[in-house]
Order: sequence, then C-alpha cells, then structure tokens
Amino acid sequence: MYYSFFLIFLSFTFSNTHLNWVQFSNLHVDVRSDMDKPKISISDEPDTLYKHLSVLVKGHDKAVLDSYEYFAVLAAKELGISIKKVHEPPRKIERLTLLKSVHIFKKHRVQYEMRTYYRCLEVKHLTGSTADVYLEYIQRNLPEGVAMEVTKTRLEQLPEHIKEPLWEMLGEEEKASKA
Amino acid sequence: MTGQVAVSGIPELLSACRGVHTTAICCKNRAARVRVGKGDKPVTYEQAHPPHYIAHRKGWLSLHTSNLDGEEGASDRTVEDVFIRKFLYGTFPGCLADQVVLKRRANELIICALMLQRLPPIKIYFLVGYSEALLSAFYKCPVRLYLQTVPTKNVYKYI
Repeated sequence: MYYSFFLIFLSFTFSNTHLNWVQFSNLHVDVRSDMDKPKISISDEPDTLYKHLSVLVKGHDKAVLDSYEYFAVLAAKELGISIKKVHEPPRKIERLTLLKSVHIFKKHRVQYEMRTYYRCLEVKHLTGSTADVYLEYIQRNLPEGVAMEVTKTRLEQLPEHIKEPLWEMLGEEEKASKA
Repeated sequence: MTGQVAVSGIPELLSACRGVHTTAICCKNRAARVRVGKGDKPVTYEQAHPPHYIAHRKGWLSLHTSNLDGEEGASDRTVEDVFIRKFLYGTFPGCLADQVVLKRRANELIICALMLQRLPPIKIYFLVGYSEALLSAFYKCPVRLYLQTVPTKNVYKYI
C-alpha cells in the first residue's frame, strides 16, 4: 500500500541515523480498541447492485498517480472485482501571468502554472457491500495531495407502473367497462 | 533611447556628442534562490534548487488537494501553512535543519520535521506535545508531528 510503504520508509531512514537517546518518533500510540471487532451485519434487504463504478483520481504528480493506480488495481484483483478500464484522461494546466514587480514595469511578467493529472479506474458489476469495502479501503490509503471523485451507476428494478405498455392497460379497461 | 550630452561654454567640444542607451529595468528573479557567493556558504538540496526545478528535481513541501483543478480552499490552506512554518521556526529555536513538510490526509495534518540535535530529548518531547496540542486547538483537526533528528545540517554543496 502506498501509505504503509511510506511509513516503512520513514522508520528505515530513522533507524539509519546514529542516535542513542531519541526514540523512534512515533510518539503517539493510537488506542483503537473499538476497531478490533469487525462489524458484520446481515439483513434481509437485497443489496444494491452497481453497474459501473468510476473512480477518478487527480493529482499534481504523475508518479504518485501511477503508484496509486497500481495499488487500486491490485486491491480490486484481490477482492475479485472485474476491472472494465483503466485510462488516463488528458492533463489540465492552469496558467497565470502576473506582474513581476510590485509597482509599474508592466512589460515584465512572471508566469506560473498548476498542473492537474488524472487517472480513471472503471470497475463493473459490483454489489453495494463490495463497493463500500473497496471504496473505503481505497480512500483510507489515498496519498496526500491526491483528490478522488467517485461516480456510481446503480441498477434499479423497473418501477411497477411502467412494466406493462399503456395500450394494453387501456385495452383491459375497455373490456372491463364493456363487461 | 539615444541621448545627446550637450556641453555648453566650451566651443571646441560643442561638436562632441555621446550616445547613451537605456532600457527599462528587467530585474532578475530572486524567488526561493540562494545567491551565489565565494564558495563558503553551505546550502541544503532544498535551498540549492530554484523553484523551476519543482516536479523535476524537487518535490513539494506542502501537500494538499486545494490547488488541483476544481478544488477549493487554496488560500485557507496557504495561510495555515505559513502560520505553521513560522510557529515551528519559533518553537524549536535554531533546531530546524530544513524546511518542514506538511501533509494533509483526510482532516489530519501531518508535519514532518528534520531537526538538529541541539536540545535535550526531554525538552524536545515537551515541545512536540505542546505544538501538537496547540495546533490541534487552533485548527480543530488532529495534528501529528513526526521528527527525524540529525547531528548537523545536510549540506548538498557550497555556494
């Protein structure tokens, strides 16, 4: 996982410095006793079904998005989720041209740009619980500086009032009125 | 623009003229650059590279999503970052070896600082707890300070 890899990297660099008297600087001990028991709830309602799940990640650094995509694809394969497509939408660059000097000198400007790279992961045929688990896992391990947008396409039962075509219903009503 | 310097009073020099060329001032860029000296100024990797090397040879010091396309809150995050850097610079007097790295991960603010071994560890632990508590109270979000200590500053080159 990107997040745990980074933690391991931190501890590795820390142990390399020649220190006797400062401990490993994870000075916080997270007391998470309520997270030990996994909560599995079983209910009689049918689970929601998703036709597609589209996860779009945005970031400034393409290498970070590459590694996150590898992690997300690996997680999907482990959970048995079928991946439809992994593609890279084109990047967007926002450029600003500002005056270089505080006062006058209109001819001399400075240009800045902000680049946003995208990566889109589309998975298909998920149940609601699988989607929740997968998304929660993915989102807990989002690197800093990376934003995510999720689009879910849900499958619904056809509503009762449009199951039968209207002319058949009108035909039945005519027969009922005649009889 | 060419100008002519007129010399009055001396008849032999009245025919002499000198051209002067001037242009509007185009100042050199000075942002985030350490000016080159005699070769005795130690400079870290971060300081040695000017800002056009970001994303090529340098990384980012402050990682958050508000500068991405379609995201909001960039000014708030920037102001917070400036305050946190000034705060840490003052809380750990002379102990910061390099610029502090700030990361925002889902409401949590993670501060990664590289420090010199100038203070005794008891004082460092106290200052870490104090800064964490104070910053959490200011920004109403969990703040964690991760430290790494080095004996001296990591010098990349001498400018």
